[in-house]
Amino acid sequence: MASSSSGLTFKLHPLVILNISDHYTRVKSQLHPPPSVHDASNGVDPSAAPPADPPRVYGCVIGVQRGRTVEIFNSFELLYEPATHSLDRAFLDKKQELYKKVFPNFYVLGWYSTGSDAEESDMHIHKALMDINESPVYVLLNPSINHAQKDLPVTIYESELHVIDGIPQLIFVHASYTIETVEAERISVDHVAHLKPSDGGTAATQLAAHLTGIHSAIKMLNSRVRVLHHYLLAMQKGEIPCENSLLRQVSSLLRRLPAIESGKFQDDFLMEYNDTLLITYLAMLTNCSRHSRRGGRTPFV
Amino acid sequence: MDALASQAAIAQKTWELENNVITTTASAAAADPSKLDQSDSIFFYDDVAQVKFQQDKPWSNDPHYFKRVKISALALLKMVVHARSGGTIEVMGLMQGKTDGDAIIVMDAFALPVEGTETRVNAQADAYEYMVDYSQTNKQAGRLENVVGWYHSHPGYGCWLSGIDVSTQMLNQQFQEPFLAVVIDPTRTVSAGKVEIGAFRTYPEGYKPPDDPVSEYQTIPLNKIEDFGVHCKQYYALDITYFKSSLDSHLLDLLWNKYWVNTLSSSPLLGNGDYVAGQISDLAEKLEQAENQLAHTRLGPLIAPPQRKKEFFGELQEDSQLTKITRDSAKITVEQVHGLMSQVIKDILFNSVRQSQKSCSEPSGPEPMVET
Repeated sequence: MASSSSGLTFKLHPLVILNISDHYTRVKSQLHPPPSVHDASNGVDPSAAPPADPPRVYGCVIGVQRGRTVEIFNSFELLYEPATHSLDRAFLDKKQELYKKVFPNFYVLGWYSTGSDAEESDMHIHKALMDINESPVYVLLNPSINHAQKDLPVTIYESELHVIDGIPQLIFVHASYTIETVEAERISVDHVAHLKPSDGGTAATQLAAHLTGIHSAIKMLNSRVRVLHHYLLAMQKGEIPCENSLLRQVSSLLRRLPAIESGKFQDDFLMEYNDTLLITYLAMLTNCSRHSRRGGRTPFV
Repeated sequence: MDALASQAAIAQKTWELENNVITTTASAAAADPSKLDQSDSIFFYDDVAQVKFQQDKPWSNDPHYFKRVKISALALLKMVVHARSGGTIEVMGLMQGKTDGDAIIVMDAFALPVEGTETRVNAQADAYEYMVDYSQTNKQAGRLENVVGWYHSHPGYGCWLSGIDVSTQMLNQQFQEPFLAVVIDPTRTVSAGKVEIGAFRTYPEGYKPPDDPVSEYQTIPLNKIEDFGVHCKQYYALDITYFKSSLDSHLLDLLWNKYWVNTLSSSPLLGNGDYVAGQISDLAEKLEQAENQLAHTRLGPLIAPPQRKKEFFGELQEDSQLTKITRDSAKITVEQVHGLMSQVIKDILFNSVRQSQKSCSEPSGPEPMVET
């Protein structure tokens, strides 16, 4: 599959990924109910239950497109009719109306599905959506859990008109995307994914939680930098052919450090620092005043 | 590095215990060949069992029947994002799920196009048509659960039920059992770096709880503190745990590969300036109040201690105003210091590159924490 040349940047929110995953898990578990539930009623042999074919789920993604940036915020489920290989249009319109009431800024950007690869039949659905959005996106999630995989099993496809064998055809092309998030989203994803303490706890556990979050992030940064370093060393030794474009990128990355270095920044930074120290000082004073003698005098002179 | 890794593993295990996230892995089904089915079994909606539970109504005899809430990762994310998107306006929505013994399970949540939920009881009435439409389309799309509660946001003033909320919830608990009320504070979530959420159920009218529930202390702004105090005995909080499917955990793990950039680049100090300023001014007002009270009582040491004995939060120890203020100030300070730490770390990482030329002017870290 060629990669997209439309120049659009895609931003995907984690909510969409969790939505699709939840939809898939739900449909899968309804189709193959857990053995404990049905052993009395049906007499179905549970060991014969394992799915032969994981079900495909379909849905619609909504969001905003601002200029060249397409931001996918949310998604909802759709009904698929295997007979006509198309999505239930009335249902889509109804759902879209409902979502418009709560999120008036979002509109249909495309559709999603689960599976390992884009298929021919997907093109039908894609074309059908083209009358809502002239260039819909297709988000594909691969639900098979493969622990060796390091990358998110989510691919975004765009459709492009290519001339193949003299016939102009629409084919799917890969598009690259970044994960975009708002602060609140990041915190709740962190919360569920990384087992932060759920209650306030003492100041010590809060501190530990905060620092460990930053520590893991820095560890990641470190490992990435090491990979680059290793690569450059190998290139220097001559083990890997010299790739100038990559070298240019690395050089420009290095030249971006230090990130900010100006007098004004230092001033502002130190001012912020001092403000926080002042707050700490005030808090200490308040704390001490609590322990001072509770006489008729007020604790504040 | 190895020692660090094993320490990290131990720390993670400790948190897995301390925290309440239960990854629905095959804990009970280790030997079961259909492991994958068993692990995501919470996602299966059992019609028959649910209907039977509805008919039995075990909660009608015991107002304290439901004790726990399990929220799915997806529901939490949706609720927090929706609450945050409202900014300073309270927003509300409904939660769908099912019950499981003494636990209410929330599988999904959706927003309602209603505003101003703190001004009237049963604001949901406006959105009945929306609710019906949404539930119908959901059932068609394969989400079979019923509405099992409502959530709304208290931007900036904590997770508790106001007078209006209590009335709304009592109404709900009369006609729509089993029903749960959830409150989210998106402003505090962002400021503190952890999710501020509370799940509540009200007691029926006139019911006196047998023992005072011990609830977690939280700071309430002055203008809301009366509303809080009047009604805080009429409801109780439920324990919240979270769950996610195996696919969810897998995806979330992989998501971290892209996410760490956001963690490092988040700047809570910048984003929460307004909120912190508001908190500090509120604290100043509370201090003035406390000072006035102290100044007026000449027989301070004799009268003050018994007067201040408030059972405000179910704690029978002396909880003078000044103690509360101290706790509030400590909380604000801790959050600020955390934010500053992130800034300092980022500065060291990305700015102090040419160390041979500059003298290292930044100290190694901020001052020690305020002791609480």
